[in-house]
Amino acid sequence: MNAWRSLLGTLAGFFPPDLSPHYLRALLPPVAETIGMTAGAMLLAYAVSLPVGLWIGARLPGTRVLAGLLAGIRAVPDLTLAIFCVIALGVGPGAGMLALAIYYAAALGKVFGDLCRTADPAPLEALRAAGASRMQVALVGMLPLKLRDILSYGSYEFESAIRASVIVGAVGGGGLGAELVGTLNAFDFQRTATLILVLVALVSLFDQLAVVLRREPRWLVALLPPALYCAWRFWPPSASLAHAASAFAGMLPPGLDAAAWRRLPDLVAQTLGMAVFGTALGAAAALPLALLSARNLSPVVIALPVRRLLEALRAVPEVVWGLVLVASAGIGPVAGTLALAVHSAGCLGRLFAESVENVRREPLIAVASTGASGVAVAAYATLPLALAPLAVHTLFRLEWNVRQATVVGMIGAGGIGQALYEAQQLFFYRRMMAYLLLTWVLVVAVDRSSEWTRRRFRWMALAPEEIAS
Amino acid sequence: MSAPRTGRAPWAGLILAAALVAAAVPAAAGPIRIGMVPDAGATQVSVEEKAPLRAYLEKAIGEPVELVIPTSYNATVEGLGNASLDIAYLGGLTYVKAHARYGVVPLVQREEDQQFHSLFITPADAPIRSLADLRGKRFAFGDINSTSGHMFPYLAMSKAGVDPEKDLSYRYTGSHAATVKAVEAGAVDAGATDETVFREMTRDGKADPAKLRVFYTTPAFVDYVWVARKGLDPGVRAAIAKAFTALASGHGDDDKILAILRGKRFVPAGDAEYDQVRVIAGRLGLL
Repeated sequence: MNAWRSLLGTLAGFFPPDLSPHYLRALLPPVAETIGMTAGAMLLAYAVSLPVGLWIGARLPGTRVLAGLLAGIRAVPDLTLAIFCVIALGVGPGAGMLALAIYYAAALGKVFGDLCRTADPAPLEALRAAGASRMQVALVGMLPLKLRDILSYGSYEFESAIRASVIVGAVGGGGLGAELVGTLNAFDFQRTATLILVLVALVSLFDQLAVVLRREPRWLVALLPPALYCAWRFWPPSASLAHAASAFAGMLPPGLDAAAWRRLPDLVAQTLGMAVFGTALGAAAALPLALLSARNLSPVVIALPVRRLLEALRAVPEVVWGLVLVASAGIGPVAGTLALAVHSAGCLGRLFAESVENVRREPLIAVASTGASGVAVAAYATLPLALAPLAVHTLFRLEWNVRQATVVGMIGAGGIGQALYEAQQLFFYRRMMAYLLLTWVLVVAVDRSSEWTRRRFRWMALAPEEIAS
Repeated sequence: MSAPRTGRAPWAGLILAAALVAAAVPAAAGPIRIGMVPDAGATQVSVEEKAPLRAYLEKAIGEPVELVIPTSYNATVEGLGNASLDIAYLGGLTYVKAHARYGVVPLVQREEDQQFHSLFITPADAPIRSLADLRGKRFAFGDINSTSGHMFPYLAMSKAGVDPEKDLSYRYTGSHAATVKAVEAGAVDAGATDETVFREMTRDGKADPAKLRVFYTTPAFVDYVWVARKGLDPGVRAAIAKAFTALASGHGDDDKILAILRGKRFVPAGDAEYDQVRVIAGRLGLL
C-alpha cells in the first residue's frame, strides 16, 4: 500500500512539465544528437542490409548461415547491443549509433531478403534464360523490381529507430536517453515529463515523414547527404577494432557460479511472468480501446480521442515507462509488468482496431438484418470474425514482450535482465554472457512455441508491416 | 507490387559508396575528454553548471576540454579502457577495477577523500535509529560500483549483523543524488549516500534537511580519485594534476571551481592507498 501511495505521489511530481525556454533550449543538442545518430545508424543499416537482403533473396551460397546470423542478432535485446558497443567503442552517441546500425541491419536484412523473394518471377526467369548468373539476377532483376518496397519499408523503420535510440542512449549512447536517465536520477520529474513530450512529438513527426516517404520513396535520397554527415559526425572517435576484439574475447567463455545457478529458476520465472502478465494486461486494456476507436463501430467523436490516446501510449517505449515506474516506486517486477502493459495496450489497441475494421462486411449485415443491436452485432459477428487476427497480434506481442521483459529488467524491474545488468556493471562479463545466452534461448523458445501455436490453430501469418512497432 | 522502374539501382550503389566513405574517414584528434562521476544525473543542465570547471581546465592545460557525464561507473571505466575518455573521476572501488583492467594512473584527490564516510539516511519521522532497525525495510544503494554508496555501507550492515540479502529488500538507484531523493520521497525507507553529496544537496535546497535524518556514519575509508588513462601523454597528465593541486580556497575564482568539485584542497594520490579497498572488495565478491 505504501508503495502505491509513493508511486501516485511521485507520478503527480511529473506535472507540470518544465517547458521553460531555458530548458527547451538546453534540449536542442540532445535532440539533434538523437535524430543524428538515428539517421546515421539507418544509413549504415541500409548500406549493410541491402546487399545482405539481395544475397539472401537470390539464395546465393551461404544464405542459410547469413539468415541464421541475422536471426541471432535480432534475438539480442537492443539494450544489450548498446552495452556491448559502449564497452567496445566508448561512451557517447557513436556507440549508440553503431548499436542501432547493427540491430536494424539485421532487422532490415531479413525483411529485404523476404521482400526480394516475393519479386515477380517472370522477369527473373527471363534474365536467367538469357544466361544471367544468380548475382546478376539479383542486381538487375530483384533490386529494381523491389526497390520501391525496400525504400518504403525502410522509412517505416525510421520511426521505430527513433524510439530505440532513446533506449540505447539510456546506457551511455548519448542523446535524449542519457538526458532522460539523468533527470530521473536527479528526481527531476518535471523535466522527465518534458522529455517524454519531446519524444512523443519526435515520434509522431517521423511517423508523418514516413507516410510521405512511403508515398514518394525517392525523397529518401534527399535525406542521404544529412544522414551521411551524421554517420561521419558521430563515428566513434576512438573506434579500435583491436580493443573491441580483446574486450569481446574477455567475455568468453560464458560461465555462472553455483549461487547464480540456484537463483536462475526464479529469474526466468520473473522475466516470463512480466512478459505474460504484461501482454495479458495490455491485451485486456486494448480490446475495449480498440472497439471504441474502430471506425466501423464507434462514432468519430469517441474514436478520434481514443486513437490519440493509443498513439501516445505507443510512442513511449516500454523501457521509458519502466524507467519512470521503477524510479518513482521501485516496485520491481510489478513496475516491469505495468511498463510492458501500457506500451502493449497502445500497440495492440491500434492493431485490434484495424483487425476489427477489416472483417468482412457480409456476415455483419446478415446479423444486423435480424434486428440485432449494434452491441449484439459487435459481440456475435465482428469480434468472432476478428478473433484469429486478434490472437495472432497478441502472440506476436508476447514474443516481443519476452525481449522487452529482459530490457525493463535491466533498468531495475528484476528477472534475468537485472541479473545481466548487474553482472555487466560489476565487470563480470563471463557471467553477463551466460545470462545473455539464456535470454537468447528464452526468446527463441517462446518464438518457436508461438509459431507452433499459430500453425496448430491455422492462424494466418501477417505481413511484417502489420506486426512491426 | 510496384512496376519495375529503371534508373533507381544506382542510388543503392550511391548509398553503399557513401557509407564506405563515412566508415573510412579517420577519427580526428579531439579535445581532452574528461569523465565526471554520474552522481548529479547526466543532464544537459548539469554539464552547463560545470562550465567554469571546463573553462578553468582548458586554460590550465592549454587544450580544448570536453566534460562527459557517463550514465554509470561501468561506462566510465570502459571509456578509460577504450580511450574514449582521457581523464576521469572514479570512486575507490572503480579505481581498483580500472587499475587492474586498464592500468589507469591515479593523479589527485581531495583531502577528505583520504578520510571519507558514508551516511545512512532515513526520513526524519521514520522509526529507524540504528542499522539493526533496517531489518524488513526497503533500502537504497547508489551505483552498484559505488564505494560510498554500496560497498562500505554493505560492509557496515554486515558487521552490524544485518544481511542485506536476507533481512531487507534493496535496490540500486544509480547515483547518490537519486538515493537522497528516493529517501526524501519515501520511495524507500532508508539509503546510504556520499557525505559530500548529502551536505551539498541539503545546503543548496536540492533536498529538504528538515525531512531527512542521518542515523549512522561509517568508519573512514579512502574514496574518490582523479585518474588518467594508461596511454595519455605524461605532459597532459602532469598539467591536469597541477591544475587541481593549484586550486586554493579563499580566492574568488578558485572557490567557484572547488564548490563544483565539492572540495577544499587537492593532494597527490597514490595506488597504495587503495589496498584496504582491494581486500574488502575481494571479500565482498565485488572483484
